Parts: sequence; C-alpha cells; structure tokens
Amino acid sequence: MENTKQFFDSWIKSQSRIIDGLTDMARKYQESFWGLGAQGGGTSAFGGFPNVYTSWTSAVLDAMRQTGAGDVNLMQEVLSKTLSGSNAYLNLYQLWLPLFKAIRDKSVSPDTYKDLTDPKKYKEMLDRVFGFDPDVISQIAVQTAKSFEALTGTSQQFMKPWMEAAEKNLKDVPHMMEGRPEAYMQTYHTLFNAFDSTFGRIFHIPPVGKDREKVELLLRSFDHLSVYLAKTTEYQHTMYITGMAALEKVITSITDKMNRGEDIKGFDEFFDLWVDVSEKTFFDLFQSAEFSQMQGELLETALKVRQHNFKLMELCLYDYPIALRSEMDSLYKTIYELKKKVKNLEKQAEEVTP
Amino acid sequence: MKSPFDTAVMKDFVKELGEVSIKLIKGSETMTAIDDIDVGTAPKELVYEEDKLKLYHYVQKGEVTCSIPVLIVYALVNRQYMLDLQPDRSIVRNLLQHGMDLYIIDWGYPTKADMYLTLDDYINGYLNTCVDRVSKETGKKKINLMGICQGGTFCGIYSALYPEKVKNLVTLVAPFDFSTNDGLLFSWSKNMNVDALIDTYRVIPGDFLNAGYLMLMPFTLNIRKYVDMLDLIEDKEKILNFLRMEKWIFDSPGQAGECLRQFIKDCYQQNKLVKGELKVGDRVVNLRDITMPLLNIFASADHLVPPSATKPLNDLVGSTDKSLYEFKGGHIGVFVGTKSQKELAPAISQWLHERAGEDTKKKVPEISKKARPDARKIPERGPSRPHSRP
Repeated sequence: MENTKQFFDSWIKSQSRIIDGLTDMARKYQESFWGLGAQGGGTSAFGGFPNVYTSWTSAVLDAMRQTGAGDVNLMQEVLSKTLSGSNAYLNLYQLWLPLFKAIRDKSVSPDTYKDLTDPKKYKEMLDRVFGFDPDVISQIAVQTAKSFEALTGTSQQFMKPWMEAAEKNLKDVPHMMEGRPEAYMQTYHTLFNAFDSTFGRIFHIPPVGKDREKVELLLRSFDHLSVYLAKTTEYQHTMYITGMAALEKVITSITDKMNRGEDIKGFDEFFDLWVDVSEKTFFDLFQSAEFSQMQGELLETALKVRQHNFKLMELCLYDYPIALRSEMDSLYKTIYELKKKVKNLEKQAEEVTP
Repeated sequence: MKSPFDTAVMKDFVKELGEVSIKLIKGSETMTAIDDIDVGTAPKELVYEEDKLKLYHYVQKGEVTCSIPVLIVYALVNRQYMLDLQPDRSIVRNLLQHGMDLYIIDWGYPTKADMYLTLDDYINGYLNTCVDRVSKETGKKKINLMGICQGGTFCGIYSALYPEKVKNLVTLVAPFDFSTNDGLLFSWSKNMNVDALIDTYRVIPGDFLNAGYLMLMPFTLNIRKYVDMLDLIEDKEKILNFLRMEKWIFDSPGQAGECLRQFIKDCYQQNKLVKGELKVGDRVVNLRDITMPLLNIFASADHLVPPSATKPLNDLVGSTDKSLYEFKGGHIGVFVGTKSQKELAPAISQWLHERAGEDTKKKVPEISKKARPDARKIPERGPSRPHSRP
C-alpha cells in the first residue's frame, strides 16, 4: 500500500506540468488544427500534445522508481519499454503529421515525401528501434583521446580535433539518411583528419621510457577503433537507408489506398502498416548474405577494440596488487581441470565400490 | 482520388494518442498492485546438484500411469521454466495430469569460472550424470528423454552416444540440420568470428544473445509489443502473464564460452552433426546410432529453429519407429499456446504411454486423431510473425 501511495503522490506532483501542457495543447489545437497548422507542415498543430505525453511518461517512471514491490525491477523495465514504445508511437505520429496534412490536401506523392518528413526525426525513431546511440561513438573517440593524453601528457589541444570531428559527423547524419554518398564519405574524411592531426603526429615522436609499450598498445587500439568506427558507420548507414526505403514503401502503400478510395481508419491502423512494411523491408535486408557478412565484420571489429582495451587495462594495472583478467583465466582453467579430475576419480571409485 | 485522412480522422488520431496516456496511467496502477511475478510454480524437489546444475523431480499428486520417467532437457539459452510459465499454460502440469513422472534439468547461470566447460562436459558429464541419477532413483535401465530446442540437439547427441540408456526420444523444435539459411540466426551465425567472440568475452553475456534475438523482428519486439500491451494493461491477470513472458525473455544466462564455440563452429558453421563428423569428448556422433523410438516435433512457423533444421532428423536416425509431428504455430507457441495445451501435451503423453512397454500401468484414454503424431510429410510454411523469441 505504501508503494502505491508513493506512486500516486509522485504522480499528483506532476499534474501541474500536465495541466500546463493540456492548456497549451488546447490553445494550439484551437488556433492551428482547424487551419491545419503552420506553413511547411510543421507539427505546431499538436505541439502541446507531446508535452502532455512526456509529462505523463516521466511521472509514471519517476513514481515506479520510488516503489519497492517484489519484481519491481522487471516491472520498471517493462513499463520503461512500454513508455519507450509508446513514445516511438508518438514520434511516429509527429513524423508523419506533415504528410497527413499533405495527404489531406491531396498534394502528396511518392516523389515528394522526402520534403515532408524530417530525416533527423526518422533517424531518432530508427535509433530507438535498433538501440543506436550516436553519442557513444563520439564518446569512445573522445575517451580514447583522453586516455592518450593522460598517458603521453600531450596538451589539451589534442582533444580538440576529435570533439570537432564528432560534432561534424553528427551533423552529417541527416544527409547520410537521404542517401547522399558524399555525406557518407565525409564522415570518413572527418575522422581521418582528426586522426591525422592527433594520433598521426605521434608516429613522429620517438618512443620514450617505460610507457612506450602502453603508448604502442594504445595506438594499435586506436587503429582498431578507427576500423570499428568506419564499419559501424557503414552498418548504421545501411540501416538508415533501409529505413528510408521502408518509408517510401509506406507512402506508396498509402497512395495506393488513396487511389483505391480506401480509408485508413485511425492512427493504430497506420501504425500497423508502418510496422509491417518496416519489418518486411528490414527482414529482406537481414536475410541477404551481404548483411550477414557486414554484421559479422562489425562484430569482429568491435571485439578487437574490446580485446585491446582489456590488454591495455592489464598493462596499466600490472603494478598494482590486483588479480588480472589473464591471471583469473588461468586460475579458472586450473580449477576446471582439477574438478574434472576429481569427478573422474569419484566415478571410478563408485564403479569399483560394491 | 480520396484522401484516407479527413478532418474527422485527424481528430481521431489525437483522441487515440490521448487514450494511450490514459491507458498508461491505469496500467501503472495495475502494475503497482502486482507484488510478485511467479513462474515455474509446479511443485518439485531437488534430487541432485553439481556445480551450477540442479536436477529436480516434479511432485506427482495423482497416479503415475507411465512408469518410464521423463527427463526434460532445456536449452542452455534461457530458462527451463518456460515449460511451466503460468499455471493454466504449463506443459509440465499438463504432462503430470496425464500420469507422467517428470524430471527436469536446471543448467543454472554460468559465471566466468565456467568458461572452460565444453560440449563434452555438458553431454558426457552433466547430462549423462543426470540420466544415471534418474535411472538410479526410479530403478529403470532406460529412461525417456525430452529435449527442447538446443536441449533437443543435446538429447539427440546423447541418444546416439548412449542408446542403451534411452527408452524413447522426444525432440521439440530442436535443430539438427544447420545447413539451412531459413532462419536469420542460421544465416548470421555463418559469418560470425566465434573465436574472437569467445576469446573476448569467455562467457557470452545473455544480453548479447538477447540483442540478436530482438534484431530478428526489431519493430515488433521493440515497439509494437509494448504498444499492444497497452490494450491489456488494465487486466491484472493478462498483464501478469505478459510480465511472466517478459521475465522469461530477459532471464538469459550467460553461455560457457568453450561449449558455445564448439556448438557454433561445428554445428552452425560446419554442420558436422548431420555429416557424422561431430566429436564430443573422444567419440564421434553418428545419428544412425539413434535406434530408439523417436518423436520429432517441429513448429511450422518457427522463425528461430525453422522446420528445415528440425525435420531432417527423421531421415538421419536408425530408428524404425519414428514420428514427425507438425505443430501449427511458432517457437514459443509450442510451450504456451492454447493448442499446445490442448493437443501437443496430450499427444506427447499418448505417444510415450504407447511406448512404455510392460511398465505402463493402465491404458490412457485415446487421444483425438488430430492430436496423434504421425510420420506424415507436411508442406513447409514461410516465415510468419513470431510470438516473441526462443
């Protein structure tokens, strides 16, 4: 009961935010909906709705976090996924709103849909589905640069090109989604330039002292990281391009419906159509030998980065009184072999015992 | 040309989205009223324990009518309580009601200390010990084996190596012919550098495998499932069942590296089991050495273990008494679907009763023709929407 009380207390606190959102939505609804919103297909017609929605969802999550019932972690997780799923539902709604308006005005066609959808928003949607986190890659690069800086004592300027590269690559993502090959290549150039102006210089520095091994290992790590970054860019690019292809198929499907004089009865029906078309389009991609190979290569490049990080960590911890990973592995092997021997001896003893 | 979205429809969209919020609030209220997500509740006793493994014996409250005990062997991936996920949809309870004497292996959760466990350890070690233990407990020289998914593959391998210990073999949605590319897991595994994977992780985290399963149907499993859940969210019993399934899906033990290395390389990548080249310990596995009666159950719409991976077993074994049973559904439906409870469990019970020999105490009621397994050839179906995952 206490948990339930906490939940509702927390929930009530969020009401003022929600009421504000509702008021805002009602006002904009009055102002914009009947006129079908701002020029250019913006989402202002329902601008207040997401506020209401996110207020609800954050309130629910906050409240769940404060409860302590059995299996609460699982329930929190499920609820979080539900909220995430329904947020995706809302994002999808926002994404398609300009299109709905264009459809209503009968000005949509499979050729014009790209002008009516926001690639960045759609990318966010796909990120949510596939669990991509664009910041992670930038953070890895920046973190590696930080480690290097710590090891080599180079100036803070070392970081700058990486920060700039990460920022620039993020800006290029919407263009990549539109299938512009130059944007795709640009990400490589940006990364290469960052590499050249930071780590590239190090190749010319003579190795010094006992940290040489660490520096070399870190450089090799960075080589692998660069390969991984290139591969993950290729992978995500493929996913985004496929997502755009799915989007196009949804438009075609809607246009076909329009031509046949059929209705889409509600957003649920549209949502089902979007999921079905997207699932099928991605399934076709996933089934291809090329995708399987690319996924295998991506995994391999990621694993190499991880392996080098483990080695580096061991090297850094070597002088400390800590059991290293390789030492524990060796210990596990000894225990495994001893256990096996004991089991065999026990079995033999059982067989000879009457 | 008519617009599919008129003004009234636009208003409906807003209304629908508003309803989503209301459902969420009501649903959270329902969820806070749930204290425990109970699974695997059929009473059972621990009869043996070794390392992380536990062997349980289910309590039979009625009469045992099929005196040959059944040892249930689940996959190393996920947990065995899928067979007893909820009281009204439990293969275990169903088989107990049909007079079966059931044992089940719980493989446990491997840790880094288990990284060197091999296929040999699992099959010639743990599984063999459990079979011996059940034989000793029940006084039977031979017992029935019922293997599920990867556990079915293990049981097939075991039955080929120790045919003298297995009375009857039942396999459910178990892969044997890995040459197929019908399922994405089969296709993806072929391009995986498994050495790099195992050498990096040692014990493969359950989350890594889960990510792969979610990728099989990303839109359905990451978004649609949770949006659809909102329609159930006010019903405590329904939401509890949903949560039970979620608990099972994400309750994924890590995988002992050496065992997984051999399983992926020898089976998924090189199809050695079917070729008669798979070596477990110091012995080569020949599926022709499976000579006991075989009931091979496959799911026609299985996207994880497609029929093309399961069905060939019947052509590879040496058994003369062999049955192929088509379950019309997906991988998960085999365990928790309504049809599974009404048709599949009684069919398994009937098949085992008929092959229990002199030990069967009484004749069980005839099952319907529909539920009876036979060796008919059934046309395969293409991939369909899965329930969720293995």
